[in-house]
Amino acid sequence: MNPAFATVLLVLVAGVLFTLPLVPTLIELRLKRDGQPLKVVQEFAGEIRHFSYGFRKYIGNVLEPLQKCVASGSTARGTMPDGDPYLLLGRSDDARLVSAGRNATTCRSVVAAGTDVVFPDGMTFVKEIYAAGKFTGGEKTEFRSVLGEKDIQLGRASTVIRWAHAVGALRAEHDCDLYGRISADREIQLETGCAFQRLNAPRIALGRPNTQEANDAAETAPISPPVGRRLIDEDLDIHPGEIVSANIVTRGKLHVGAGARLLGSVKSHEEMVLEAGVKVEGSLISASTMHIGRDCQIIGPVIAEHGIAIDTGTRIGNVRTPTTISAPTIQIEDGVTVFGSVWARNEGQVVPQK
Amino acid sequence: MLYCLFAIVILISVYTIRHYLFTLNRLFGFQRHPYIDVDMADWPPVTVLVAAHNEQKVIAYILAALMKVNYPKEKMLVVPVNDRSTDGTREIIDRFCEEHPGRIRPFHRAGGKEGKAAALKDAMELVETEVILIFDADYIPGSALIRQLVAPFFDPEVGGVMGRVVPLNVGTNLLTRLLDFERSGGYQVDQQARMNLGLVPQHGGTVAGVRLSALREIGGWNDNSLTEDTDLTYRLLLAGWKTVYQNRSECYEEVPETWQARIKQLMRWAKGHNQALADYGVKLLFGKHRATLRERIDGFLLLGVYAMALLTLIGWILALGLFYEGVAPLHGVIALLAITAYGALGNFAAFFEIAAANRLDYTHERICLLPFLVLGFAVSVFSISRACLSQLLAPIAGVAFHWDKTERFRSTP
Repeated sequence: MNPAFATVLLVLVAGVLFTLPLVPTLIELRLKRDGQPLKVVQEFAGEIRHFSYGFRKYIGNVLEPLQKCVASGSTARGTMPDGDPYLLLGRSDDARLVSAGRNATTCRSVVAAGTDVVFPDGMTFVKEIYAAGKFTGGEKTEFRSVLGEKDIQLGRASTVIRWAHAVGALRAEHDCDLYGRISADREIQLETGCAFQRLNAPRIALGRPNTQEANDAAETAPISPPVGRRLIDEDLDIHPGEIVSANIVTRGKLHVGAGARLLGSVKSHEEMVLEAGVKVEGSLISASTMHIGRDCQIIGPVIAEHGIAIDTGTRIGNVRTPTTISAPTIQIEDGVTVFGSVWARNEGQVVPQK
Repeated sequence: MLYCLFAIVILISVYTIRHYLFTLNRLFGFQRHPYIDVDMADWPPVTVLVAAHNEQKVIAYILAALMKVNYPKEKMLVVPVNDRSTDGTREIIDRFCEEHPGRIRPFHRAGGKEGKAAALKDAMELVETEVILIFDADYIPGSALIRQLVAPFFDPEVGGVMGRVVPLNVGTNLLTRLLDFERSGGYQVDQQARMNLGLVPQHGGTVAGVRLSALREIGGWNDNSLTEDTDLTYRLLLAGWKTVYQNRSECYEEVPETWQARIKQLMRWAKGHNQALADYGVKLLFGKHRATLRERIDGFLLLGVYAMALLTLIGWILALGLFYEGVAPLHGVIALLAITAYGALGNFAAFFEIAAANRLDYTHERICLLPFLVLGFAVSVFSISRACLSQLLAPIAGVAFHWDKTERFRSTP
């Protein structure tokens, strides 16, 4: 081979081999196919009602025909703008229609009920449900999402896959699995055995209603605002009945004796245990696990990085100052009341009293 | 010469391991976002400081965005800190004050020491709330951001909070795309990994917050610092306060669009960081304070990141010198193996980190630009080295404190 030709060939081959991996780079630089900024959610998608509000807009497409169905007491079927089939129920006894068809236990349409409605047991709803009146679901029913303009009642052992929102109250009977976002504008009641992830309502009653629930107006007012911060490198034991007026950070475990009153916020790096009747005006933060005993009152946010267990009779937040409980796993005994949000990132559960 | 090179190689290896540790933690480790779920609370009053020096191109965007945020209106006061602006910044701020009475209280500063820290220090006379948030004027906060940045202050150990910065003008040119990579790696991987591992997330001085009592305890803003954020991070740490990072508290920013602006920005950051290294490095490592061992080590390594650029450059020069001297330690075998191993793994640590960050961000084609990072890396090494050298020579040259403002590129609304 001619040496000059061989040299040129070598340079060319080397050049191609060098350039080849850079071809996608040069294409992207020129075409800017992925040159948009990352999507930063400017609206608050974390708002628990985000999806239900979106669905209300979506269902607005069929509200007019739904009202006609209600006026005429009839039922209608059709297709939503995105191609999903819908079923409009104008009368409460139409609900049996949802189980009609080849597969009697699965409904594949978006269902909109114009009146109070009671759904049969054992169904699976693949699409969302809208109820203009009171919504009552059957037992062992699986819902994708439910929006109720009044109250929602979920039958025993039912499942919500994505979200449910009630403009009134939402009640779930024993052993329901409530994945995703569950919210109500007035109240949520979950019976024992229910599992949940995210709950939000002005008042959340877990298990049987707490008959000894304190009156908000009668709550003890703070003695004085917390002063300063106490940093402790080891375990800390706060004695029963003690009043602590500082914010506390301990790197060890924290044990708060029965009836103690903490006027500030408290953090422990390890396990935190509150005995019965403790009152905390500020927040409770644990970098580990937290156990809140019977009949405690916590005003501020309650956060544990690994898990929280709350015993019966405890109240978190109050009507005037709703708050948040957050942990990967949350176990709440029958008879606890929360005002605000409960976020169990992995799983929350309502368990019977010990 | 050889031992100096060995020392530099060991240091580079330490930073390489650190890169891998952070990246693997983000890909496979336990992720900590303890405060992000707090959506209901008795929200405390908050003051939002907006640092502005000749910001007529951008100030209206942030003020408009702040007026729309989801935070109790009666509990949030916006204080635009107009620092000796000579453009139309003052007029724009005053117009917003008239349009939103009671919600904005401007701080117009006509004189005094230059620099953001000095301006913030003076503006503290208007601050009465325990929680303070700080934004630079080119940022555009989303509606949930204020709540997200305030939520960590329910933790009595938290003195500072930092959110994630996301470039808005990504597609402008190659530089902005490289800066998008840098921010992505720095926040999505570095900062969050530090948060996960209980290390030292860095306060960035914007999309950030600080607790007033903590700030008072450490003596307020340090107006002698070129990077008041780094300075704040270390003083909080030494005083037993935590700075936490919230990766999901994202905010758009404008990144420099010209290499000149970028180099100026880099040089200021490098000088400020090195200043903090000199001020707090030894005390952090060996002093008597509340930082844990891992915080001491990570904090020190973080302080050294800009000094490493100069050391890398010296390492290259030493390696070349030794090569031409004919030095081949241990018959060249170890050196050969070390070079091969570093070429295969160490060299790519930063690339791996950024690639992982892009994966975590669910981006796709932009990763194709990764080879161009070499260009950004080279510019950074030389600019930072220049900054380090000028800083070392400053006492001899008698250079006074000077603060370079980052140029803005957005068009006036």
